[in-house]
Amino acid sequence: MNLRLSTLFALAAFASTPAWAQGTAIVVAIPPMTTPDTGTKGNESLALAWAATQLIETDLRSTSELMPLKPDQKDYYSYPEVTAPTFSKWRSAGAKALVTGFVQQRADGRLTFGCYVYDLDKGRELGRKGFVVTRDDWRRAAHKCSGLAYTAVTGAPAMFDTRIAYVAESGTGDGKVKRIAIMDSDGYSHSYLTAGDTMVLTPRLSPKAARVAYVSFLGGRPNVRIIDVASGQQRPLVPTDAISFAPRFSPDGSRVVFSMMLGPNSDIYAVDANGGLPQRLTTSPGIETDASFSPDGSKIVFESDRSGSQQLYVMDANGSNQRRLTFGGGWYAAPDWSPDGTLIAFTRRGSEGRHIGIIKADGTAEKILTVGPTDEGSSWAVSGRELVFQRTDPTGRNGIYRVSVDGGEPRKIQIPQDGTDPDWSGVMD
Amino acid sequence: MRKALLLLLMLAVPATAQRPPPLIGIAALRADFVAKTGTDTVYFGSDTATLGVPARAVLDGQAQWLLAHPDVVVRIEGYADSSDTRDHALAVGAKRAEEVRDYLVLMGVPAEQLVTMSWGKERYGVGRAVTVLVR
Repeated sequence: MNLRLSTLFALAAFASTPAWAQGTAIVVAIPPMTTPDTGTKGNESLALAWAATQLIETDLRSTSELMPLKPDQKDYYSYPEVTAPTFSKWRSAGAKALVTGFVQQRADGRLTFGCYVYDLDKGRELGRKGFVVTRDDWRRAAHKCSGLAYTAVTGAPAMFDTRIAYVAESGTGDGKVKRIAIMDSDGYSHSYLTAGDTMVLTPRLSPKAARVAYVSFLGGRPNVRIIDVASGQQRPLVPTDAISFAPRFSPDGSRVVFSMMLGPNSDIYAVDANGGLPQRLTTSPGIETDASFSPDGSKIVFESDRSGSQQLYVMDANGSNQRRLTFGGGWYAAPDWSPDGTLIAFTRRGSEGRHIGIIKADGTAEKILTVGPTDEGSSWAVSGRELVFQRTDPTGRNGIYRVSVDGGEPRKIQIPQDGTDPDWSGVMD
Repeated sequence: MRKALLLLLMLAVPATAQRPPPLIGIAALRADFVAKTGTDTVYFGSDTATLGVPARAVLDGQAQWLLAHPDVVVRIEGYADSSDTRDHALAVGAKRAEEVRDYLVLMGVPAEQLVTMSWGKERYGVGRAVTVLVR
């Protein structure tokens, strides 16, 4: 998984989001990617280019903002046409934007992917980007192309080249085997990070998915550990036998906030991700947990039952200026601050069950997104347009789902077994 | 001669194995603990870690037993409701276990005999704390 992406072209600065990119889904044309290679190499490259084209279609179709036209091999471009597409043809097919590009084999055995995005109405380029990847990583290069198109059209960061960590479950009842699993956000490159011999909970990815902080019952009590995804090496976050849980990385990945219990009191602490002395951020006698940084790292949202019921609170990153955020009735838990800083996702508990909701960071405009009644633990996609969460179905099976902030029916994510505790990373390098 | 000796040795093995197990095994102690104190489990109200009168009566008996068995160490396991959220449940379970521990200490049980842990909502056992003998 050691991937090296290098930027070939300077990324054309995106002009402001096109005027038509509002409201219903934007139709995007995806003429098949091409290649400058010839002979046998040319055939190989064309096969890869076609696979990449289809993956871009799948990526864009998974969003609620873009609607790709089905790529057709008859629409194949010659290499020079990539930088000079025929705008009128696609415009008459109803498309507003076009993404295409090329695949070229390099002398060192790696591949160059070039991606181009166009505004069909204005007949101008919206962005271009190039990547050099090993052959095994062609999927990630295609995800990067999808991301270029998504960001050019919507203005939001793209979540195609991101990963999801979760707890994979097999077996039933108290005999359940739980393992930390990690996969690309489209379900590929699935692997397990722990062996299943110890109870594990709540994996939390570092922003670029290089590390996972999680809770292990290895020493007999819940304790936060950190695992390096590439090497599999791991260690306790803090060398203590106190109960610790609910870890989350800071937006730059340098710090981890977590909860630790000294006696019956759960408080929030922060510590350097590489170790050191934890700094205590809360001191109330209630249960404080589930801390999450704002994207600029200056604030932390968390839950506390200091008022008598679980509610959301916001404080400065050093623990000062604590103030209550939620007053809507019901209990509010497990907050996660959105990547653009404007929203906070939460789990609301009440007599009618558990639901996923969002609220503005100033505590207004609360909106419940899921019907429940057994939903919990939401985590933002880097786009800020979607959340991943856990739902228990009526038969008691756990699954992970994604839901748009605009509402709509959640979609179940396909995983090999049952799953809980999903966490969505930022964009990888 | 050697063959006969080997046979004798083999006969000797089952004889040793038939000896009764020592009476102070952990299983026997657990059975005695539950028999003398009535139960190893106390229950809490929804989302609280406050000990009610029935729970305290159970713990009074457990404290007497533990004082009479100063070599025994127990693990107090706290559980929370499945309707709770995952991390809050861990804290509630731990708080319940701590509450039981503090009460047993108040009744004179040395803290060295008591270890606490929380299963949160990860194991079946809604709203309770269980005292498990470990050694």
